[in-house]
Amino acid sequence: MKRNAALVALLCVIALVFAVVPSPAAAQDAPTGQWLGTWPYAAPGTHNLNSFAAGGLNDNLGVVYRPLVELTPAFYLWASKEYAPILAESWGFVDDNAAYEYTLKEGATWSNGDPITTQDVVDTFTIGRILGWTQWTYLTSVEAVDERTVRFNFTENGASLNAERQLLKEHVVASANYGELATQAREVIDSGATSDSEEWAAVRTAITEFRPEELIASGPYTYTLDDVGEAFMTLRWQPNSLYSGTVKFGELKLWGGETEVTTPLVLSGELAHSTNVYPPATIESFAAEGIRLVTVPRGYGPALLFNFSVAPFDNVLVRQAMAHAINREQSALLTNGLGASGTVYMSGILDSQAPNLISQETLDALNKYEYNLEGAAALMEEAGFTRNADGKWADAEGNTIDVEYTFPADFADFSAAARDASAQLNEFGFNVTERALPWQEARDAILAGNFELSVWSWGAGSPFAFQNFNNPLRRWTSATLADDQPGLNLDISALEVDGETVDLNDLILNVSGGLDPAVQQERADRIAQIINAGMYYIPLNEMLSVEPLNEASIGGAPADGDPIYANPSNDHFAIYLILNGTLFPAGQ
Amino acid sequence: MTAVAAPPKPVSAPAPTLISRIRRITRSYFFRVVLQGLLTIWAVTTFTFFLIREMPGSPMDIKISELMDRQNLTYDDAYRAAATLFNFDPDKPVLLQYTDFIGDLLRGDLGGSITRANVSVLSIILRYLPWTLFCVGLALLISFTLGILIGLAMGYWRGSWFDNFITGIASLLSGIPDYIMALLIVIIFGVQLGWFQVGAVRGGVDQTIEAGFTPEYIASILQYAFMPVLVYVLSSIGTWILAMKSSTISTLGEDYITVAKARGLSEGRILTGYVGRNAMLPLITRLAISVGFVVGGSVIIEEMFQYPGLGRNLYIAIAGRDYTTMQGIFLVITIAVVFSNILADLAIAWLDPRVRIDKGEK
Repeated sequence: MKRNAALVALLCVIALVFAVVPSPAAAQDAPTGQWLGTWPYAAPGTHNLNSFAAGGLNDNLGVVYRPLVELTPAFYLWASKEYAPILAESWGFVDDNAAYEYTLKEGATWSNGDPITTQDVVDTFTIGRILGWTQWTYLTSVEAVDERTVRFNFTENGASLNAERQLLKEHVVASANYGELATQAREVIDSGATSDSEEWAAVRTAITEFRPEELIASGPYTYTLDDVGEAFMTLRWQPNSLYSGTVKFGELKLWGGETEVTTPLVLSGELAHSTNVYPPATIESFAAEGIRLVTVPRGYGPALLFNFSVAPFDNVLVRQAMAHAINREQSALLTNGLGASGTVYMSGILDSQAPNLISQETLDALNKYEYNLEGAAALMEEAGFTRNADGKWADAEGNTIDVEYTFPADFADFSAAARDASAQLNEFGFNVTERALPWQEARDAILAGNFELSVWSWGAGSPFAFQNFNNPLRRWTSATLADDQPGLNLDISALEVDGETVDLNDLILNVSGGLDPAVQQERADRIAQIINAGMYYIPLNEMLSVEPLNEASIGGAPADGDPIYANPSNDHFAIYLILNGTLFPAGQ
Repeated sequence: MTAVAAPPKPVSAPAPTLISRIRRITRSYFFRVVLQGLLTIWAVTTFTFFLIREMPGSPMDIKISELMDRQNLTYDDAYRAAATLFNFDPDKPVLLQYTDFIGDLLRGDLGGSITRANVSVLSIILRYLPWTLFCVGLALLISFTLGILIGLAMGYWRGSWFDNFITGIASLLSGIPDYIMALLIVIIFGVQLGWFQVGAVRGGVDQTIEAGFTPEYIASILQYAFMPVLVYVLSSIGTWILAMKSSTISTLGEDYITVAKARGLSEGRILTGYVGRNAMLPLITRLAISVGFVVGGSVIIEEMFQYPGLGRNLYIAIAGRDYTTMQGIFLVITIAVVFSNILADLAIAWLDPRVRIDKGEK
């Protein structure tokens, strides 16, 4: 009788323990249904689960799917210019902007059941320091205030809204996997070794060569190497994430391959959402099949680049004339059909962002360089050119403008933009010869200053003016290039503007500094005016990402015009809508 | 008594010296063919080594561009960051890279992939080569066999409706690039007609079936190979058909065929025993070259169907400028092409001794 009573008591205790201690796996049922997406991940045998190495998570999951496996502290909503909490519950500048802090949500755990703590964050950034992350250009240290609050200490004047974005967008990795490497990294940093030392290089190598056996996820999805196949990989729901209870898909099936490989899958309905760049004709065939198309900013567009050491492109009047002579709406249509729009403001900032970063007064005052062949002709004449008997522009000595326009043949969008611009300029009276090159060669030609006209991207998928202005004016000039790379042959640190010398490089570098958007706008206004007047490149159009979203497979997608679609590809709407359960398998 | 002289001892041939043996070996047809093959492999390997490095953009350059675009780094900062990701020193003199490569190669080490850290080139080749050998090898076998038989029949009954019809089809098929063929089949039969699921023909095997020597696994391998094999056969069979037809027609003009007909031999006997065997000889060299290229796979077809072959890996390596992987795959292709040609030379020399004599072996 005593034994029975003891047994009953023991069973009661066990039952009580199971009742009190929450078992995450039991707490929520696994959702069902598949998300059918795509990403060109590394094939089995070369695929690895390292968050920091080539062929690791960054390459394999990309900007859309990695945030569903390794959460970021917050997610930026472009329309409202606000951050939505993901892994962190609060954040902000502290100590008179000397530091930044965020606090992790209570109850956040890794897929192995361990709590997510500030040690994980500190270890993430310690490894990032060894790898030379950009954040360490304005950080002096990262420290745990307590189990859930982490503090980022800034260098003098290091605080900026741009810094805030980079800190809140950085994925946090698990110390259970990377803690040992982080300890090694700390020892090297604390020893005073520099980044070019052997000790530093040894830790760097150890980090990139590390191959975790298990992916420890903070997001609601994870996978093992067994889930990676030649044709597709599968991210599987895991029960221990903060978002395991809200997501509606049990699996994310990601097809491998690029555009040409995924096209038939979209058409056959086996691929429901894709971020690939499809040609206009393919987009039309998707629409004909009744597949919904969602349009979001891509965060760049093709720009006509000048080599400033080649006459007459050193003449601002000729550049302005060329801007007037190219019909940018036509350029957009031929570049990417409905997936592009002709540039309107010519401000150096993508039109989708310009109203947020430049004052309306300045935008209104900017020269829009409307398509105007007569105006363009007047500018050419003012520059000293006249039309010859063939209708071609010629200088005082009768020399026509015979130039070569190099473009990357393997980039369909840039090729189309360059070929259309060539045709329009020839129509206007130039002698432009197209020269298609492999993209690496076209890029090298720009770096080496070995071109006359070329095409590359302008703008950036960033809510800050710096990144927009940076590309292409800093990207392809001595401001960022090596000493032996002349690039555009334009010294933007000493530009002649209205009779005075302006350091545009310095202006761009500082445009997004500090925490006051009004001050940043003033600075952006000034830069926009300089770029607009100087027409240092012609922003032909702004690309849009036209993404198939097959509603036969995916339900819940907000209607067109919803603010979430203001987010560009690198803050993709799918991340947010999957995590908060807005998107669900159709039919559920 | 007349003394009888002792019979002279038979004069034995002088024992061959080492030098004469070596001379004999070096003068042999086999030796010269193999030596020529080895020299060809070395020359091609050296040529491709330098050619690869002359391609615009190194793996570092590609990563640097990406970092400059995405993180707005300066070139120097992006260079430093990229250097941490790759097992590659772009500043190392090319000649030094070459001597290192040859030294490692002589030790049987193809090195590690530049863009895929901790992955050896040999492991990539060993993992993917069997798939390619199976898929492209099977396709070549089918394509060659069918092509020879159809071409033979067309040549023998030249001018018939069968000849005219197949000539048109073969010309059409040989004019369509393999990637267009792959796309057409997938779009028309997969998407438009819905005869198969497009996703179900991607990869090398059903990922849900456990690997093993089981009927299901083998059936799955055959099922997944069907589409790439079909595309390869369709895109290459036209050439075999037309070549065999042409060779058959020229063989039919030979005197021994007329004699065979005059002797009253059956049509089947003439076709197989006289025409077919002789008409096939010129195609052996072509087959040998094709067999050599089997190991390189079919880049576009493998990429289209995500087939786990060496061709797809070559495509990935070229796109990412993974020099070492490219070198390794090109080396394997070179060895295969050279040795299959050697085998063809030896086979022809064995079949027709005049070839050896013509080439100097007495």
